[in-house]
Amino acid sequence: MQQIPKEMFQPAAAELGEAEKISRPSLSYWKDVAIRFRKNKLAMFGLVLLVLLVFMAIFGPHMTKYDYATNDLMNTNQPPSSKHWFGTDDLGRDVFARTWYGARISLFIGLAAALIDLLIGVLWGGISGLRGGRTDEVMMRIADILWAVPYLLLVIILMVVLGQGLGTMILAMTITGWINMARIVRGQVLQLKSQEYVLASQTLGASTSRIMFKHLIPNAMGPILVTLTLSIPSAIFTEAFLSYLGLGVPQPLASWGTMASDGVQAMQYYPWRLFFPATFICLTIFAFNVVGDGLRDALDPRLRK
Amino acid sequence: MAEKQKLIEIKNLKQHFNVGHGQVIKAVDGITFDIYKGETLGLVGESGCGKSTTGRTIIGLYQATSGEVLLNGVSVHGKKSPKELKMLKRKMQMIFQDPYASLNPRMTVADIIAEGIDIHGLAKTKEERMKRVYELLETVGLNREHANRYPHEFSGGQRQRIGIARALAVEPEFIIADEPISALDVSIQAQVVNLMKRLQREKGLTYLFIAHDLSMVKYISDRIGVMYFGKMVELAEAEELYRNPIHPYTKALLSAIPLPDPETERVRRRAIYDPSQHQYKDGESLEFREITPGHFVLCSEEEYKKYKAMHS
Amino acid sequence: MKKLLEVKNLEVSFQTYGGEVQAVRGVSFHLNRGETLAIVGESGSGKSVTSQTIMRLIPTPPGRIKNGQILFDGEDLVKKTDKEMEAIRGKDIGMIFQDPMTSLNPTMKVGHQIMEVLTKHLKMDKSAAKERAIELLRLVGIPMPEKRVTQYPHEFSGGMRQRAMIAVALASNPKLLIADEPTTALDVTIQAQILELMKELQKKTNTSIIFITHDLGVVANVADRVAVMYAGKIVEMGTVDEVFYDPKHPYTWGLLASMPSLDSDDKSELAAIPGTPPDLTNPPKGDAFAPRNPYAMKIDFELEPPLFQISDTHYAATWLLHPDAPKVEPPEAVKKRLRKLSSNYPQPVIVKESE
Repeated sequence: MQQIPKEMFQPAAAELGEAEKISRPSLSYWKDVAIRFRKNKLAMFGLVLLVLLVFMAIFGPHMTKYDYATNDLMNTNQPPSSKHWFGTDDLGRDVFARTWYGARISLFIGLAAALIDLLIGVLWGGISGLRGGRTDEVMMRIADILWAVPYLLLVIILMVVLGQGLGTMILAMTITGWINMARIVRGQVLQLKSQEYVLASQTLGASTSRIMFKHLIPNAMGPILVTLTLSIPSAIFTEAFLSYLGLGVPQPLASWGTMASDGVQAMQYYPWRLFFPATFICLTIFAFNVVGDGLRDALDPRLRK
Repeated sequence: MAEKQKLIEIKNLKQHFNVGHGQVIKAVDGITFDIYKGETLGLVGESGCGKSTTGRTIIGLYQATSGEVLLNGVSVHGKKSPKELKMLKRKMQMIFQDPYASLNPRMTVADIIAEGIDIHGLAKTKEERMKRVYELLETVGLNREHANRYPHEFSGGQRQRIGIARALAVEPEFIIADEPISALDVSIQAQVVNLMKRLQREKGLTYLFIAHDLSMVKYISDRIGVMYFGKMVELAEAEELYRNPIHPYTKALLSAIPLPDPETERVRRRAIYDPSQHQYKDGESLEFREITPGHFVLCSEEEYKKYKAMHS
Repeated sequence: MKKLLEVKNLEVSFQTYGGEVQAVRGVSFHLNRGETLAIVGESGSGKSVTSQTIMRLIPTPPGRIKNGQILFDGEDLVKKTDKEMEAIRGKDIGMIFQDPMTSLNPTMKVGHQIMEVLTKHLKMDKSAAKERAIELLRLVGIPMPEKRVTQYPHEFSGGMRQRAMIAVALASNPKLLIADEPTTALDVTIQAQILELMKELQKKTNTSIIFITHDLGVVANVADRVAVMYAGKIVEMGTVDEVFYDPKHPYTWGLLASMPSLDSDDKSELAAIPGTPPDLTNPPKGDAFAPRNPYAMKIDFELEPPLFQISDTHYAATWLLHPDAPKVEPPEAVKKRLRKLSSNYPQPVIVKESE
């Protein structure tokens, strides 16, 4: 038997307060999410890529002395060189300047469309889910009907009625874009509103708006954020697609979509005119997608410890 | 309980849910009982018997199909001005079953506890609000360092105490505890039950304690009601109910509780309840009748005579 | 009696971003044939991880078996490949869970799920398997098994689903059945039926059962022997009588004292165990129970207690059994249960020194 000094057997029960101590450092939900997100290398890569793209969209057009809209008919269709880093197009405009100017428009359309979707979707889905019953039924049927209208038809009608332009483009995207967000939010709200903390808030006498903004939306934030991040690339892609059909922003405005659409016609002779806008469309969509996926993984409660 | 003053009166309460296709679930089907000031009334029964629905209907989470709930003689349901409703809500509070689902994971403990204070404007300044939060934390055996933490950092028992602090923040008279300990570990259950008893002594609270753990219910309750398929089948003082159960369902329920005693378990004989054993005739009316003083049983006229003869 | 299962010094931990969680910290026990061992403990005590490790069901990573052996019929399960384990799981070892929907496939008919086990593990042909499936459903007390066999799990009520799961687990005549809180979600009357059913089936098939629960009433009802777990260790183990009538560890005392007795009218305060279980990312030095232990001594905060043997079958890891420790009185509620057991040694013997 081990030799143990007798005095070690003195009673020494701990203070009761000690037993309530929490040894781990405090960690809010979002800090926790950030930690997990940072561990995801691909998502972090996507995030860095996005930051670079945004940086270039802001400063890129100022890095070269050429303007995005000025024609230079002496220097049309120049290949990339030390003067024109990405070459020039059929009107002699600098592709580098146009690419980053286009980035602004493409990213703006993507962000604007996504934010409008967010606003309408959260309100629509939130009210629908929280009220339930007849209100829910009517609101969701309206969404279903809108969803069922052929999308391209709607866009073409809008273009004809309102004329081509940035505003029309965003309107065209959001007119059905919010439905997806609304469905997600409604699903979340339906699930969350029977949670006991919502009931507790009700028994305390909380108003509907308090329940909505203090309890339901903060807890639905994860899926909302993921949907938001994933709807930006789809808006960017839609913009490119519409531009390709000739329904994009009018000249001399440049977006990646219109640039790619122009570039395709001269693809065999002047491939750089397609290469640069197409590459950045792909990179942006890729970056948003991996960031969105990374967020989803980081927010997923099933992975939480 | 020298003079038994009625705090809550429940009169023929019914809660039917329409589940579509013309089907109606009678979750609560006409129950009547009173809760006296300062007492704990236990409500037991198996899942689906309507005990939780009863609690939620009393507090107004569900709109009652019919019947009345009176608090201090004033009807709780029906048309009320928002102000009256707010006052009523302050007097009745609820403690929930699942300590993991009953606290908003995105709010700090301070904000959770202060929710009632914010809603009812009970604190004039930020300092006063935090002072109340600290007091409440200490009341339930936690300390002020816990105020800025998030629910997921706490254990089940600690969370349940936070839920109790939240309910206490609005200084209620009556608390409905809906299975408050069934999700907790044995060693933690006793902590929460002790806390509830202490709060009852100190603040003169009245409890409706809903549970399926019958030994804990017996310990905490003054009187116990047994529910079976939306009806209350027996109501008596806690001791009396365990000593002299009358309704066959109560007998079956009591005989099924496993006790932490190997010897009694080896010789356990379980009573089985079969609703057809009553052999009620058509048109026979079942009523809640008093067999011995304070001991009520749902029975027919014939059974009443039989029970009465057996128990007096 | 021959040992069916022997777990030796099992250590399991999980890697999380907060650090390594030492869920099981050196657990040793054995199980005889035809015997029921109850493992009692709070959530986080490691009881479920222990049983899932025996089934090799813990996800790796983040989980890892750091040390130890699991000898099942003389073979070490820790060393088996996943493929070999697949042949053992569901055949030699069956498992039932608290939530039957986790182990019943909702898209498959109940009968098919039983038949699958029979055709896969027992190489039965289809018609024989179907007959046996009906027989099994009847055995577990499901009325009209001929009809039930073609129904889906959602068509069963909670208690019936639990029975169906037991039928699936028993289909291959497993030598060992691991039941992880199988009755916790059930009502008392259904729980009583399921417990009776399990005991009855055990008598017929001589299956060994590991029964994991936190309900001491259930333990008293089903167990032959009991292991009490706290913070990833077994703190006390013995026959059901030894643990209930002559408990030695202060944690076991705490558990027994914190339950109100149904027989007495005693309304005095329950002897709750204060505080909460320790965080196993950094287990405390010494005895993990010490911070919550009203009987704690200085030594408890310094050194882990050795394992004492009180009788042939009774073990407890507490410094209170040390000859130099002061004699302490257990809580009132425990004192009422104490009995003199003749099988006890004159003095507790140290069988494993403290580390």
